[in-house]
Order: sequence, then C-alpha cells, then structure tokens
Amino acid sequence: MTDQHTSTDPTGTDEQEPLTDGGTDGEARTDGGPPATIPPDDETPTWSERKERSQGLSRLTYEYFERARREDQDLRQESTYVERDVLGFPAWPHETIRNLAITSFFVGIIILVSATIPMYFENPANASSTPSIILPDWYLYWSFGLLKLNPINPGLAVLDGNLVFSHEFFGILGHGLIIGVIALVPFLNKGNARRPVEQPFWSAVGVMGALLSVTLAALAIQNFFPFELELLFTLVFILPFLGGVVTYAVLKTMREGYMYDLNKRYYRLRPPQ
Amino acid sequence: MSLEKKDEFDHDAWLKRKDLTAVETAFLTTLIWMDKRLRIVDYLELLETLYYRINLQMPKSHTEQYDLDNKFWYWYPLYSLGSLSIIAYLVAAVSGALLGFYYSPSTAGAAAAGDPTAAWLSIEMIIKDIQFGFMLRSIHRWAAQFMVAAVFLHMLRVYFTGAYKEPREGNWILGVILILLTLLFGYSGYVLPWKQLSFWAAQIGVEMALATPIVGEWAAQLLFGGFTLGQATLVRMYIMHVFLLPFVVTALIALHVGIVWVQGIAEPH
Ligand code: HEM
Repeated sequence: MTDQHTSTDPTGTDEQEPLTDGGTDGEARTDGGPPATIPPDDETPTWSERKERSQGLSRLTYEYFERARREDQDLRQESTYVERDVLGFPAWPHETIRNLAITSFFVGIIILVSATIPMYFENPANASSTPSIILPDWYLYWSFGLLKLNPINPGLAVLDGNLVFSHEFFGILGHGLIIGVIALVPFLNKGNARRPVEQPFWSAVGVMGALLSVTLAALAIQNFFPFELELLFTLVFILPFLGGVVTYAVLKTMREGYMYDLNKRYYRLRPPQ
Repeated sequence: MSLEKKDEFDHDAWLKRKDLTAVETAFLTTLIWMDKRLRIVDYLELLETLYYRINLQMPKSHTEQYDLDNKFWYWYPLYSLGSLSIIAYLVAAVSGALLGFYYSPSTAGAAAAGDPTAAWLSIEMIIKDIQFGFMLRSIHRWAAQFMVAAVFLHMLRVYFTGAYKEPREGNWILGVILILLTLLFGYSGYVLPWKQLSFWAAQIGVEMALATPIVGEWAAQLLFGGFTLGQATLVRMYIMHVFLLPFVVTALIALHVGIVWVQGIAEPH
C-alpha cells in the first residue's frame, strides 16, 4: 500500500508529509486502497451526455423537455411583454389589511346571522311515523327534486309499457348525468373565449344549468306551491330553457358593440404587428 | 483539540456587544436556542436555494402573483368566493370541534319509536344547558350553509369567466369532487342529531342506494352500515363527518389552491 502511494507521489520523494492530526499518511490510511468507484474526471459524462445516452422513456422525456425549454425561450424572446415595476397593491400593508377586513366582515356576518336567525331543532327520530314533508337542507333540494321526476320516466312499449328503470334509479341517473356533464365542461367548451359576451352559447348553457338547479329545488318543495304539480313540472324545464334563450339573445346583441370596445382597447395595449 | 468553544462563537457576548432592542434580543435568543437544537440554519439555506433555483417567488402582492390586470378590478369580488369558502370552512371546523366535546353519536336510550336518543339528547343539552351552546350550534350550522353557498357561487364564477379552460381542466374536475364532498359533509352532518328529518333524510339515502343496481347494496352497507337505519348508520355518518371528510377535504382544498398558485389565476382577456 505504501509502495503504491509513493509510486504515484508527484513529488517523487520518500518523505511522508505530516498530517494535521500529527501522524503520517502511511499510518492514517487504514481502509484499503484508493477509491475504485469514481471514474477519473475526464471520463465523467456531463448531464446532457448522460441524458442523450439514455434509452426509451427517459430518452423521450429528455427530448420533450428540451423542446419545451426551447419553445419557452423562443416565446420569451418573441414576446413584446414589458415587465412593469408595480402591477398592483403591495402585500403589506394594503392587501393584508384588505384581506383581514374581508375575513372579519365575512366571519362577522356568519356570527350575526347565527345570532339573529337561530336554527330550529325538531323532535327525535321516529321510524314509525313518516313526516308529511321530508326535506334535506336547502342545498340538496335539487338532488331531491331529481327524485321526483317520475312523470318523465320512460316506459317502453316493447316491455308492455313497463319502466326501464325504477323511479328512484331514474333520479339517480339524473344525478350522474348532471355531474357528468359538469365534469365534462372543460372538454366540451374549448378555445380562448373567457367573458360571457364572447361565448353566448355556453353562457346560455350556464344560465340554464343555474336555473335548473333552482327549478328542481322548487320541485322538491312542491307541497309549498299553490299551483298544480302538472304546471310546476312543466315550468321546471321550460323556465331554464327560456332563461337560456333570453341570455343567448341578449349576449348576441351585446356582442357586436361590446367586442368593438374590447378590441379597441386590446389593440391599443398590444398593437398588431 | 479542545472542545471548549472559541470566543468568536460566544453568541451571548456577541448579543451583548450588539446593543439590541428587546424585540431583537428576544428574536435572536429564540433563533439561537432553536438553531442549537434543530440546526435551522441548514434548512433556511435549503429554502433559500429553493427560492432562487426553482424560481418560487414569494408574491410581491396578490395582484402581482396572479398577474391580475387593473382593468379587471370590478370582477374582483367574485374572485374572493373561493377564499370565502375556505373561511366558512374554517369557522365550521372550529365550532364543530367545540361541538364535538358534547355530542355523542349514539342511538341508545330510545325504548319506543320516537323516544329521544342519546344523540338527540346531547344536542338538546348543547342547546339548553351548555353556556353559549345554542350560539355554537347556530354558528356551526350557518357556517356550513355559507360554505355551500360560497362554493356554489364560486363554481358559477369559474364557469362564467371561462376559468376552467386549458390548462385548468384538472382543477375544475378537482372542484367538482370538492363540491360533491362539501354536499356530503352537509348531508352527513344533517343526520347526526338524529331528529325526525335527519332520520328520514338518511332513509331516502338508503333507498337511493338500494335502487341502484349492482353497486347499490354494497354502497348502502358502506355508507349507512346496513339496509335499516340504526346505531351503525349514525356511527358511519359520524366518522365520515368528523374524521374522513375533514382530512380529505382539507387536503383537496390545499391541492386545489396549490394548483391555482402554480398556474396563476385565469384572467379574462
Ligand atoms: C371546497 C370548495 C372550494 C374551495 C375552498 C375553492 C377554493 C378556490 C380558491 C381560493 C381559488 C382561487 C381563486 C378564487 O378564489 O376564485 C379557486 C380557484 C378555482 N376553483 Fe375552486 N374552490 C372550491 C370549489 C371549486 C369548485 C366546485 C369548482 C368547479 C367545479 C372549482 C374550480 C376552480 C377553478 C377552475 C379555479 C381556477 C380559477 C382561475 O384560475 O381563475 N373550485 N378555488
């Protein structure tokens, strides 16, 4: 071991350097020869060499990342966006105080409402007497309304007019349909339009949905309405549709004038090249 | 080598020499005390490296972080609806934790149909006997109503400002899951007092589950602990309301807001 050490010693002297702990190098080396796992510096691959040598999925990942980085850089260089010094209010004190104000105001309202409109508490559960009106909290009325869609549950002539689904299951399918459509919205409505005027159709759909949640809720508390179930049932679907049509018409009409204004401002900010 | 500290590391003397104000002294003393035990310096350095390397900047302001434009200010109140949901959620969480000291999820004590159960009696005790209990329950319930309302309106705001479009589809779906969980939160809480409407709301839940083919019976057993309502139902609703949902919803809200942080707010243009 000592031989190996001295043979590679660049100074070529046999004299051993004293180490900081007072001993000599020969004594200090107790754990076997020079490390074998670290290749000499000139053989160590660089990061990109390592990545370029990679195979399969990691190779693809690397290639995509390179592309993405280049795209980012190009976009940045092409961009005429000027970084402004101040884009808004400072976090301290303006926004902190504003947020504290909003928070305390909102919590205050909750406390005020709780103090003035206390919740009512009823009799204990009784499994043997069905109440005449069963209701969940208001935010589930729409769901409860869906369970009362019996009249439009289709019966098939092929099955001698028998129901395809039980009434309850029909309502449950309604839930699935509504939740599914809501979840799919981002994949159905694509493009850059953001404001309601820019997309009259989808705004109309939104108004229809919001109104439907209200009319379905009305269906759930049908016992409280003075008019006939038949009429209410018709309204449940007609009203949202009418709301949607009106929204569409209004937005379409607004669109021309509004877009003109919008574009004027847009092009003043980012003039066409 | 001597283990004794050298003078230059005598932090106390350094503190004295600096002639600091009381606040500064307290701060530094605490920092040094913590650092000696937990070596915070290293972690602070890690954080600093993160801060610069990954370009994770602390926002200079909310408006700047989310790159909100000034022409947009009149929409702004609608953009606070998400935060208002969180605030209402926190109010409900605090008041709920306090209610939890007194509530007992048990149907014991009802000899005949319609007799008060332990659960019902514990709510009655909260309302009638506990100092401030009536208010506490009222706050809890109203905070829940406000949360649901805020979440629903928040969803409408996201819809009508087209904020769900690429690249935010994932966050929209996460939002749909969140609103469903919020409703489930409300529903499971509604059942807990075991009052007449609680019971019948749960009854309708069971009937809905049983009307579903294939998975229905399994779902009824999982959520309601069987096909007829009883102690098992109450305990399942209780665990859902005070254990599962709080963790899941809190984590998902954190993820939801984290994604907004990363993606920036969608500004209409
Ligand atoms: C527990 C319920 C929820 C909480 C606490 C919550 C919280 C938030 C917060 C704080 C923001 C930041 C912007 C803002 O406040 O408007 C946000 C944005 C967003 N939320 Fe929610 N949210 C919830 C439910 C929902 C629901 C039900 C949806 C839709 C189905 C949704 C979809 C989104 C989307 C897409 C964004 C990004 C909007 C943008 O970039 O402009 N969230 N949410």
